[in-house]
Formats: sequence, C-alpha cells, structure tokens
Amino acid sequence: MKHLIACLSALLLACAVNAQQSSGPALPKDELIKQQQQRVVTQPYNNAPFWKEARGAVEGYASIPAPEAGVLIQDGGQNWRALRNGTFSIIGGWALVAMMLLIGGFYAWKGTIQLHEAPTGRLIERFTLLERMAHWATAISFSVLAISGLILAFGKALLIPVISFTLFSWLAIIAKNLHNFLGPLFIISCIVTFCVFLRDNWPKAVDFKWLVSFGGLINGKHVPSEKFNAGEKLWFWGGLMLLGIVVGASGLVLNFPNFGQTRATMQLANLVHLTGAVMFMLGAMGHIYMGTLGMAGALDAMKTGVVDEAWAKEHHELWYDDVKSGKVPANRSENGGNAGAGTQQPVAVGGNN
Amino acid sequence: MARMKFICDAERCIECNGCVTACKNEHDVPWGVNRRRVVTLNDGIVGAERSISVACMHCSDAPCQAVCPVNCFYKTEDGVVLHDKDLCIGCGYCFYACPFGAPQFPQAGAFGLRGKMDKCTFCAGGPEKDGSKAEIEKYGRNRLSEGKLPACAEMCSTKALLAGDGDVLSDIYRERVMRRGRGGDLWGHATAYGRPDTKATAPAVQSIPQKS
Repeated sequence: MKHLIACLSALLLACAVNAQQSSGPALPKDELIKQQQQRVVTQPYNNAPFWKEARGAVEGYASIPAPEAGVLIQDGGQNWRALRNGTFSIIGGWALVAMMLLIGGFYAWKGTIQLHEAPTGRLIERFTLLERMAHWATAISFSVLAISGLILAFGKALLIPVISFTLFSWLAIIAKNLHNFLGPLFIISCIVTFCVFLRDNWPKAVDFKWLVSFGGLINGKHVPSEKFNAGEKLWFWGGLMLLGIVVGASGLVLNFPNFGQTRATMQLANLVHLTGAVMFMLGAMGHIYMGTLGMAGALDAMKTGVVDEAWAKEHHELWYDDVKSGKVPANRSENGGNAGAGTQQPVAVGGNN
Repeated sequence: MARMKFICDAERCIECNGCVTACKNEHDVPWGVNRRRVVTLNDGIVGAERSISVACMHCSDAPCQAVCPVNCFYKTEDGVVLHDKDLCIGCGYCFYACPFGAPQFPQAGAFGLRGKMDKCTFCAGGPEKDGSKAEIEKYGRNRLSEGKLPACAEMCSTKALLAGDGDVLSDIYRERVMRRGRGGDLWGHATAYGRPDTKATAPAVQSIPQKS
C-alpha cells in the first residue's frame, strides 16, 4: 500500500510538471509578436522576442504534413526523461523488488495455507469454462505484457551488461512486438472477465468486516466471505477495472501513434502507463501468490473449475451456505444457470449434418 | 578535436527549403521521413516572421541516447550523435524525449507501427564501414569521411545554415553579427523581404494606402 501511495504521488507530481510545461511562454504569443515588430525598428537584428516564442513551443508553419512539424522546441521531453529514467524507474523498480521480498517473507512465515478439515470428496462448481477461459486469457496476456514491459524498462540496466547489445536488441524487438500486439487483446479479455465476474463481485456490507481484519490472514481469526472475499473484490474493482482502464487507455495512446496525438500527450501517457503497470504488477504478484503458493486448492479451482465442499466452507462460507440452501446451483454449467456453456453439458447444441 | 555543430542564422534564412531538398536527395530519404525541416514562426506577419532550419542538433547530453531502451545511440569523436539501426527496435522513446523532433519513423505496418528510427547523421553515416553499400542503404552518404561538410549547409543559398566545428562557426557568426546591416550584408531575410529600418526597402504591403 505504501508503494501504491508513493507511485500515486509521483504521478500527481508528473501531472503538475506537465501542466506547468504546457502553460507555454511567459508572455502570450500576440504580445511577443508585437514586441518583435517593434524590436526590428528600434534594435534591428535583435530577435529576442522571436526566440522567446520559439522556446515556448509555439507552433509555426512547416511545409511537412506531420504532427507538430511546425514546433521548433518541445521541452516536455526533458521532464519526461528525468521522471522516466529517474523517479519512476527507481520507485517502480524497488517497489517490485520490495513486494517480492514481502511475499517471500510472508511465505517463510505462513507457508502454504492448508485446509483444516479433511476433503469431503463432494465437489462444487466454482468457475464455469467461460469464466476460466476469460481468466486465463487475461492472466496469460497480462504475464506476457508484464515480462515484456519489464524487459523494455529495465533491460538496459540489467540485461545489456549480461547478454550485450545484439542479443538484447533481439529480445527487445520480440518484447516490443509482443507488448504492442497483446495489449489490445489484454484489454478485450479484461472487458470479458469484468462482465463474467461482475455479479459475484458486487460489494456487500460483509466485505468491510473482512477488510478490517484483512481476512483473518494476520490474526488467524475466521471471517466468513461470499463467493469472492473482499480482497478478491478489491482486486476486481481496483485492479481489473480501474488499473485496466488506466493502463489500457494510456497504452492505446502509445500503441497507435497514427491519430495525430502530440508528444506532450505521449509523454504523459507513458508516465501514467508506467505507474499503472507497476501498481498492476504489485497487485498481480499478491494475487498470483494467493492463487498458487499461498493457498492450497486455489489454483485447482481455476484449473478444473471445481472445489471440494470443505474448501468452500472454510474459505467462502457464505457462498457455501448459498449453495447448500440451493440459492446458487452447485453445478451452474449443467443447470444452465450462467451465460457460459460448460464442457460438462452432455447435450450437443444445434447439431448439423 | 572538432565538435561538430549546426547553426541557423534567423536573419538570413529565407525559407527556400534548399537544405531540406539537399538532405532528401543526398541520402535518398524515404517518403514520410524528414531529417531536416524549415519552421517559420509568425508566417505572414510583417516584421515578426522568421524562419529556422532544424534537424538533429547532436546534443552533448542527448536525451534520445538517455532514454533508448536498447542503447543504440553513440557519439563519434567529432561530437556527432549517431545510432545503430540494427539494434533499434522502433519504440519511439527517442521521439518523446527529443525537443527538436529529430527522430523520424518510417511506417512499418498498419496503425502507425514504427519501423527503425531515422534521423540526421550530420552526413556522417552510421556504424557500418565508411562509404560501404550497407552504410549508404541504412544511413545515407558519409560525407564527413570524405572530408566534406553536411549537404544541407553546403547547399544553403544564403549561408544561413552553417555546419562544422563549433569554434569556426562561432567566429564566422560573431564576425557576421559585428558587420550586420553594413556593406557586405547582401544576403538573407532583409534582402529578400526588405529592411525594416529604412522606408525605401520596407515591405510592399506596408506601403499600400488604407482605403477609408
């Protein structure tokens, strides 16, 4: 959380810097033109007002039909360079390292959280095929984007000294192309995942109790939760939705430079993208840890779609109660309760031939 | 050792785009890529209009070099900033960082997919062997290795655009400023568009009487 706040404040700083730089010359353009017109009469060959104008990123005329061809000097790049190479890379990079250490420390302390009761052998369907496909499409594209993004951001400092220029350039070309082509696919899979999981992630009063005690993770006291606990819901709204929008929108600005967006826009978009991506990766590290090493049975649920009743009772008691009382079908695929078409459905739909 | 620089004299540039054409022609620069361009501020405003020819300024502390994720930029011993197109990945970061808009990208696919970056080389080619076929194809001609200066400056009709060792350019420019407005000042903006300080050569538009 501390890192998130640090990243957020860095982003605000960047916005402030950007706003200052886009405020243009100290004097309005018309005033500088008037001064220049007087100057050529009173002090011929002294073009100071003209140069002030040039320095203030005033757009003039150029015969080349390219965006900003008429701008002589756009000095926002210097701020972008300082923030990207400095503040953002340093805070972002160390935040990721710190999160890794934090998770490693947590694992050393708690280990894998095992089930307290023996499995009953009775299975409940937790995720339909559609839900699992949406999740894994998002998860795989996210992982490729994260790794390729890290290569592009930190490879110059960490990989070039090891594998040298030519090999790293090959790696970076692959990373850039994967990043550019998977980006839009990631956005689409985020939207699908959002729609599929929206109903079960609706915030309820019980979630606040869970959040206050952090799901009983620290003190070991049990807090009942619905199909998704408040942590998962936080990841859904704050990660998938909010960071998805932030990183996705800024990524599209950078990915499609053919819409005439200016350099100032792209400089800001890049900083937003970096901040959002680091926060996304921090959250994903926690999410991946809890879904694999951190908790027994969690990965199986997303792999096979089913969980044992004992697991459901221990981790998602309110959801278990709903299933037991019949409010939620134990097998949504067979009952056709959800939009997804499950593999378990034995009846072939619309047989041709 | 020389420190290569460009200087453009705003009092002399007449926006003829000869430098742009010379550059395009010398290096066979592809369509859509412009290593040099002429910018006119206050176009058509009497007394305030000036033009400047701009390209890569071969910065001492080059922002493009600082942000390049694959470190493809390098500086020659003459202070010229060059890059290795074999390493370039076409990410566009140098374009975000450069204040002069020097890095150019040929479109390599749909939706503005960037190809390998291209920019002014100060007519010094690239990392390939001087004057080799590979160098000419990737970076254009290497005039510096032949003892010639950049084509744009050589071609400039008013000698507004100068290229060469910074110390030599400073001397030329200093002398020019000292003598400006007297005798030898035959070329440039004032000759083309009128001297603002004398009525006789004032721009024609100023002498049109206003109809009441």
